[in-house]
Amino acid sequence: MTNNGYRLIHTVEDLRYYLIQGMKIEHATIPPYLTALYSLKPGTNLEAFHIIRAVVVEEMLHLTLAANVFNAVGGDINGVLTDPEFIPEYPAHLPTGSVDFKVNIEKFSPNTVETFLNIERSKEVDKDAPLVLPRPELNPWLRILGLEETYTFYSIGLFYAEVIRGLQELHQEMGDDLFCGDPNKQITPEYYYDGAGEIVPVYDFQSAIRALRVIQEQGEGSRQQTIYDAERELCHYYRFQQLELGQYYSIDKNNPLNSDSPDHPTGKTFIVDWDAVYPVKTNAKLSDYPEGSELYDAAKEFQQQYYAFLGMIQASFNGSPQALIPAVGGMFKLKESAERLIRNPIPDMEGVNAAPIYRWNKEQK
Amino acid sequence: MIIKSVDCQTISNIVYDVVIVGSGVAGAIVAKQLSEQGKTVLILEAGTSEGLTLEGYQNNIETFYGALNKNSNSPYPLNPNALSPTDNTYGYFQEKGVLPLSGSYTRIVGGTTRHWEGKTIRMLPEDFKLRTNYGHGLDWPISYDDLMPYYRKAEYEIGVAGDTEEQKEAGAEFIDGYVLPMKKLPPSFLDGIVRKGIDQIEEVTIGKENPETIKLKLSTFPQGRNSIPHPDYQRPGYTDDQLIKDNFIPEGVASVHPVEYGERCQGNANCVPICPVQAKYDARRTLSTIAFPEKVHLLSQAVATQVDINPENGRVTAINYKQYKNISSSEYTVGTARGRLFVLAANAVENAKLMLASNLPSTSGMMGCNLMDHPYLLSWALLPTTKIAGTLRGPQVTSGLSTFRKGDFRKEQCAFAMSIHNDGWGWSGTGATDILQDAVDKKHKYGAELRNELITRISQQLLLDFMCELPANSSNRVTVDPQYKDQLGNYRPVIHYNVPDYCKKTMAYARKLSLQIFESLGAKDYSHYDKSDPAYFEYENEGYFFRGGNHFAGTHVMGTTKNNSVVDRNLRSWDHENLYLVGGGSMPSIGSSNTTLTLAALSFLASEQMLRDLKA
Amino acid sequence: MDIDTPDLMEYFLNFSAAVTGFSRFDLLGTGQASLYFSTIEGIIGGEIFRELLQTFHELYVRANSENDASILTEGITDEILMSGKLGPIASNIIKLWYSATWYQLPDPWREKFGARQNDTSFVVSPYAYPEGLLWQAIGVNPPGAKAPGYASWQYPPSVRLTSPKN
Ligand SMILES: Cc1cc2nc3c(=O)[nH]c(=O)nc-3n(C[C@H](O)[C@H](O)[C@H](O)COP(=O)(O)OP(=O)(O)OC[C@H]3O[C@@H](n4cnc5c(N)ncnc54)[C@H](O)[C@@H]3O)c2cc1C
Ligand code: SF4
Repeated sequence: MTNNGYRLIHTVEDLRYYLIQGMKIEHATIPPYLTALYSLKPGTNLEAFHIIRAVVVEEMLHLTLAANVFNAVGGDINGVLTDPEFIPEYPAHLPTGSVDFKVNIEKFSPNTVETFLNIERSKEVDKDAPLVLPRPELNPWLRILGLEETYTFYSIGLFYAEVIRGLQELHQEMGDDLFCGDPNKQITPEYYYDGAGEIVPVYDFQSAIRALRVIQEQGEGSRQQTIYDAERELCHYYRFQQLELGQYYSIDKNNPLNSDSPDHPTGKTFIVDWDAVYPVKTNAKLSDYPEGSELYDAAKEFQQQYYAFLGMIQASFNGSPQALIPAVGGMFKLKESAERLIRNPIPDMEGVNAAPIYRWNKEQK
Repeated sequence: MIIKSVDCQTISNIVYDVVIVGSGVAGAIVAKQLSEQGKTVLILEAGTSEGLTLEGYQNNIETFYGALNKNSNSPYPLNPNALSPTDNTYGYFQEKGVLPLSGSYTRIVGGTTRHWEGKTIRMLPEDFKLRTNYGHGLDWPISYDDLMPYYRKAEYEIGVAGDTEEQKEAGAEFIDGYVLPMKKLPPSFLDGIVRKGIDQIEEVTIGKENPETIKLKLSTFPQGRNSIPHPDYQRPGYTDDQLIKDNFIPEGVASVHPVEYGERCQGNANCVPICPVQAKYDARRTLSTIAFPEKVHLLSQAVATQVDINPENGRVTAINYKQYKNISSSEYTVGTARGRLFVLAANAVENAKLMLASNLPSTSGMMGCNLMDHPYLLSWALLPTTKIAGTLRGPQVTSGLSTFRKGDFRKEQCAFAMSIHNDGWGWSGTGATDILQDAVDKKHKYGAELRNELITRISQQLLLDFMCELPANSSNRVTVDPQYKDQLGNYRPVIHYNVPDYCKKTMAYARKLSLQIFESLGAKDYSHYDKSDPAYFEYENEGYFFRGGNHFAGTHVMGTTKNNSVVDRNLRSWDHENLYLVGGGSMPSIGSSNTTLTLAALSFLASEQMLRDLKA
Repeated sequence: MDIDTPDLMEYFLNFSAAVTGFSRFDLLGTGQASLYFSTIEGIIGGEIFRELLQTFHELYVRANSENDASILTEGITDEILMSGKLGPIASNIIKLWYSATWYQLPDPWREKFGARQNDTSFVVSPYAYPEGLLWQAIGVNPPGAKAPGYASWQYPPSVRLTSPKN
């Protein structure tokens, strides 16, 4: 398949590059989701709590699946997650390159939910329409190698559509030589079964496609005009939409065709309490906190913890899958550190609380 | 998918293939097995069913968070229409014995596994012949070998994590090539500290007539909680000894989304009374993984009150129940459940109580007799502060001694297993918040000093429990008495219980052993057995108390004839051929194993016979 | 002075930091400060609560201006913890922060200073329970919340004994 004559992925290098971007995309959603999640006051907004939390856990799964594919095609993951640029500088465009919205790190609010819907949006495309729409971007995140113009993707799903297409093409060319990675670097279900759907270790073409499809579908659904994915679970977009509509969708697992149709949930209604939220600083920076204060130190410590967490994840993707287990423990600790920050008012900023800072700035030591 | 909740109206028009009383692990397994073979099933459940939804479960957690007294039933609202014993708190058990049975269970959907600790230990082959081998208690009509295939099914259903080799060393047998579904839970840091002391002791002797030398060695306990799946696991196949390669992944519990399903144990240290992440098996997991959930009807808030019999042939014709509207009112309606087969799975105490309330003591007269439990001796100390142990982390127990589970000493004194408590002294009656109150109110500690005081007195806590085997004895029993009824007019269990010297001797031995362990660790003994404790007793001039083990068994014991037992080797009532009594009540001995794995295995065994009956 | 003024909240946080051994950041990090403040006020009444906080505040100001920490530490013991009137309340505030539980004041206090209607033992709010400082102090998670992760229990604990500074 071609796009206006362009072939976006045509070498293994391209594919690996795309997969690194894929990992960035999956990860880029995590800080905003987590911050919104932790801004909820404990014991309130249980619907929002469970919906966001479930999505975050699935994003972690997607990151892991993308890493599995990357390792399977012989990518070298060392330095990928620990690259300071792995975390965008918020507000940021999604690394898909879409420029019509920006993602902030902020508290849970109607606006935030709107952004989440944008992140998870899907697009109906005709079979032969170009997957990639050429669009100029000023400060692009995703630069596509070997192309003069910057190409952007309307949605995460379309981005993966290109990855799948590229993979297919390369597999046709190279056969199973494409999967030259070390099989010991695959994350297997032993180390990853915490909900979220199944982890797919990738050893060949079939499993690579399966892994990529899980990522694609959990976000956006298996087909247009349906609200569920291949596992008959509600996809992310519609999960977030429930918060906007204050009503759950219902899925008939035995006969999914009897499920609710998009935009028309019929399940239980609930009330979102937009006020039961800590007023956290949007896109907080270290310089927002008085230097030398406990707040400053705690924020800095969080940054370090987060960096260490990414390091542990990277190690687990790099042949030490058992490191994933303490990494999950590390994530629990991050949650507590983040909550402590979020509950502390910033001195001299009326009614604004601190927020965790994820990105490690180059200027910092 | 979840089984179908129904109302009285619906069930009054149906004759089910099977009517089951109780949705605990025993009832849930029977429901799953039979419905998957196409049978229609009704479960009558005395408790409420709120825990089947995520929201309900969240409420349970919230209730627990808000409870002043965080006892084993604290997540579940007090239900005066179907009371649960809670260590003598509500006086549900009428204790008439020399010593109290005490302990607890939970009457709610999913039953007592909702708050069990989750140890899942097989009995040993010799435990099945307690009378023949050691001259105590009763023999089983079946052997360990007979039960083995069903143990494997139970281990699959519960999702047992454990070290198969360690279990072999303890004396359990496994067929070649079999390993437990998940790897053992890692021993705690505290276990590591205790191990050092135990290694110094090396060996001890036990028994007077034929003293035996026993080498002390710590090992882990198999547990029904999610760890790392074992890559070599093979699940039970379609014939008895067949094994099939299986990538074991623990299955989830009822809720809105899979992410809330049984996760890997995260060390919440709260297995009793509620695991916030559902890492621990409870019977809701069996109920929510039934393949054809529409075949299973659940009527909750329905307390079975009377078993009706056809006097001509002894067959059960119906089970009557009282369904209450809600837990805050004693209003109820009565109803009748009809079926071809009937299964009582309300637990050992409630099964016997229901039969006695229906005036069905059985030909042998043994209904309610042979009540067993594991009495626990506790011994507690503070470790020296040279190394901070960090007690209060991890699953309640990870390691202990299984070296006293077998041996010829069992002729003289009972077998036992020892556990190291990662959860500190709580069970002895002194919890972490008691220490806090003492430090603040009595010692006037504050600030940094207070923090140190708490580390010294909590993080260094060591509590050892010694779970002792109690052989069947017909004078330990459950009875009913019209004097003691609850607000729905149902009987409360009247308990007659005592602990024989056979066990007391082991408790005294265990106490000495614990002192030896404390000494080897440089730990200071803080055990105090208060005379005012209802379970206080003296043995050879020393005072002790024990704690109830919650492992109720023996009340409708299985045996070889209708004159020596209540049920046959398939758990079918001798007197009523379409009635099964499942659960610990059917066990003639309990060895030094917590009872649930064995009673789950028996539920699989009984289900096979039920299917044969239904075919006939 | 109005009990609701931010000043008293400040005094309360400083007092709490001094008696719990946790920093203001830690205390605010529990998210429970205002709930505890209003709970205490609601039970014992504004007057006596203010007396406690002002007694503390005076010590605090003096200790700072004279640059002598012992004024504060000795003052807390002599004038507050050992005081028949303020001592049991101060102890209750420590226990409140540590266990999210208000414990009924001791009988002698109730007899002497008057029993308060809401003075029963209770957990202040279900979601305060996991924020109890007791668990942080001994380096563990509150049982049933804030899980530390699989296998974390096999590693050495994070707490150690400190040598009290003052
Ligand atoms: C604190 C604690 C810790 C434990 N730890 C362990 C352990 O580590 N390992 C182990 O093996 N075991 C343990 N146990 C014991 C274990 O929980 C029980 O053995 C097991 O749950 C019994 O299962 P069951 O299905 O027979 O009965 P239950 O789980 O008690 O279920 C019986 C069901 O029947 C219902 N019911 C009762 N009466 C009626 C009625 N009249 N009508 C309708 N329904 C009724 C109840 O509501 C309940 O749902 C523990 C128990 C406790 C209390
Ligand atoms: S230790 Fe915690 S996570 Fe593990 S089973 Fe117990 S309560 Fe659940």
